[in-house]
Amino acid sequence: MPAVITANLPVFLIILPLIAAFILPTIARRQRLQENLLLVVGSLGLLGAGYLVYLVMHGGISSVYQMGGWPAPWGIELQVDNLASFFLLVVALIILPVFLYSRRNMAEEVGSREKVARFYVLILLLIGALAGMALTNDLFNVYVLVEVATISCVGLVSSRNHPLSAEAAFRYLILATFGSALILGGIGFIYIITGHLNMGFAAQELVQVWQYRPHVVWMALIFLLAGFGIKAALFPLHLWLPDAHSIAPTPASALLSGLAVKGYLICLFKFFYRVAVPFLLQELAIDKIMKWAGLLGIVLASLMAIRQDELKRRLAFSTVAQIGYLFLGASLMNTRGLSGTFFYLASHAVIKSALFLSAGMMISVTGKKKVSQLAGIGKKMPVTTAVFTIASLGLVGVPLFSGFVGKWYLLLGALDSGDFLSALVIIAGSVLCAAYLFPVVRLAYFEPAEIKEAQDPGIPQKLALVFLAVLVVLLGVMPGIVLELANRAALDLLTP
Amino acid sequence: MRILLEKLLINYPFFFAIILFVMGAFTVLTRSNLFKKLIGINIMEGGIFLFFVAAGNIKGGAVPILVDNPGVTYINPLTSALMLTGIVVSVSVTAFALALIVRIYKIYGTTDARRIAEMRKEVKERCQQS
Repeated sequence: MPAVITANLPVFLIILPLIAAFILPTIARRQRLQENLLLVVGSLGLLGAGYLVYLVMHGGISSVYQMGGWPAPWGIELQVDNLASFFLLVVALIILPVFLYSRRNMAEEVGSREKVARFYVLILLLIGALAGMALTNDLFNVYVLVEVATISCVGLVSSRNHPLSAEAAFRYLILATFGSALILGGIGFIYIITGHLNMGFAAQELVQVWQYRPHVVWMALIFLLAGFGIKAALFPLHLWLPDAHSIAPTPASALLSGLAVKGYLICLFKFFYRVAVPFLLQELAIDKIMKWAGLLGIVLASLMAIRQDELKRRLAFSTVAQIGYLFLGASLMNTRGLSGTFFYLASHAVIKSALFLSAGMMISVTGKKKVSQLAGIGKKMPVTTAVFTIASLGLVGVPLFSGFVGKWYLLLGALDSGDFLSALVIIAGSVLCAAYLFPVVRLAYFEPAEIKEAQDPGIPQKLALVFLAVLVVLLGVMPGIVLELANRAALDLLTP
Repeated sequence: MRILLEKLLINYPFFFAIILFVMGAFTVLTRSNLFKKLIGINIMEGGIFLFFVAAGNIKGGAVPILVDNPGVTYINPLTSALMLTGIVVSVSVTAFALALIVRIYKIYGTTDARRIAEMRKEVKERCQQS
């Protein structure tokens, strides 16, 4: 590879989707060309993210990228570390199948063929913002990128051609903007007491000044937790999520549930572990709030998911429950817990996209939204149902599937910190998860068919689903490099 | 108490920022009219902007245009510059939300969140029939 590309790879990964988002409207009428362009962007992104992971793991790239060559206190930095390359890899692994899935499949859900281009532009903007969130090392950049991601997420929800979509999107927009205002306030507090917007410099100052102004630091962290909590659907603040994620067009649901929510989480972890140190979180009892919100989220959101009859709504509530796992793991403050959190983040991203894409395919082919109406679909759409089954097994955490590895590490982390309640809830969450996903599988395979005509989707959609299912199994059988990256990222964050 | 009051008087912009923030948050959470919710968001963001700009201000500080005379204290221009970005974001969010309200009004014929919640079931059934 030429040295220019290698040295500037992080920036290219942010710019690539943004440039594509700029080009797409100019070819709005040529759908075939658009979709090919998207596939090229997706493959280039995957190649780039894979190469970045390789470089980071072998120390082939400097961990700090200075934008425009300006040094740190004045210029803006990108932090090219294990966490960033890990999340970029996850993003790249999800977007390729999502692009494949939406190939010649979007016109019905979005309304008309002309609107498909706008939908793609929003997806690309979201991906650009997520890549930026993974890499950024600047407090105010986080705010701007979070806003870009939020507006494109709301745009994706409202792009569905459905009478209820505008209202769900409006509620999402109001709550998410409320969250942004809180995040901006938290950033303001940190800036006032440290005088820096660069995360590294702010952290150095914060360690010294927090004793003199503990209330300000506490306010800052609470504002950030509440703000990102709204956006990432932390349990009592999740009210917008079930409507928004179930009404969005299927590929958008997969992206929103699988990736967008995690982008905010990654930013929150950066604030909590890189700007504040774990010791500070424990001192100010932030970790207890995270832990209890996580525990309640796992149990209550799972119970709510069991009661939902609409398939996509059930999956949306399941997302709230799984976000509870991530907050719980982050609150454990030990290496195994945190690396389990990161691995679970990756595996949930893959699994939830597979679930949403296969469920969306069943719904759009049969026109039936409810679980009870989908009886016997396993015989009509074997591939789709098989992918749904594999992903369900993964989410429940059956060994040899990817969810198991994440949950296992979370469990070890909980036991490491002697927290038996959390360990119990982690296991109970798996049982509850089985209680809301396995009935779908049972109905699909072992009940007489009610649906007359239904068949598996076309080749691109099948490819996308199979790709995700293979990932679910692969991450479970050979977690190797992803687990290693998650471990290193956790170590980075916990050792200052 | 007296020290607290004096501190409040010196830092009065922060006091007003908090009042604006709480007013906005209260409006968003309690009003059912969608426009009022949106206005509440804007008031809340106004509070945050005031908070930032006040944080950069120094009493008696000069405008931060660098000229060659030592001994002058300049105010911090960075926070004002940041809030320029914040205002742009807030304007675009407002525009987007207004567009969504137009769509909601076309479907429900009202901009009251409570009535919309009542009508949601009806709309759902209507779209399942068609």
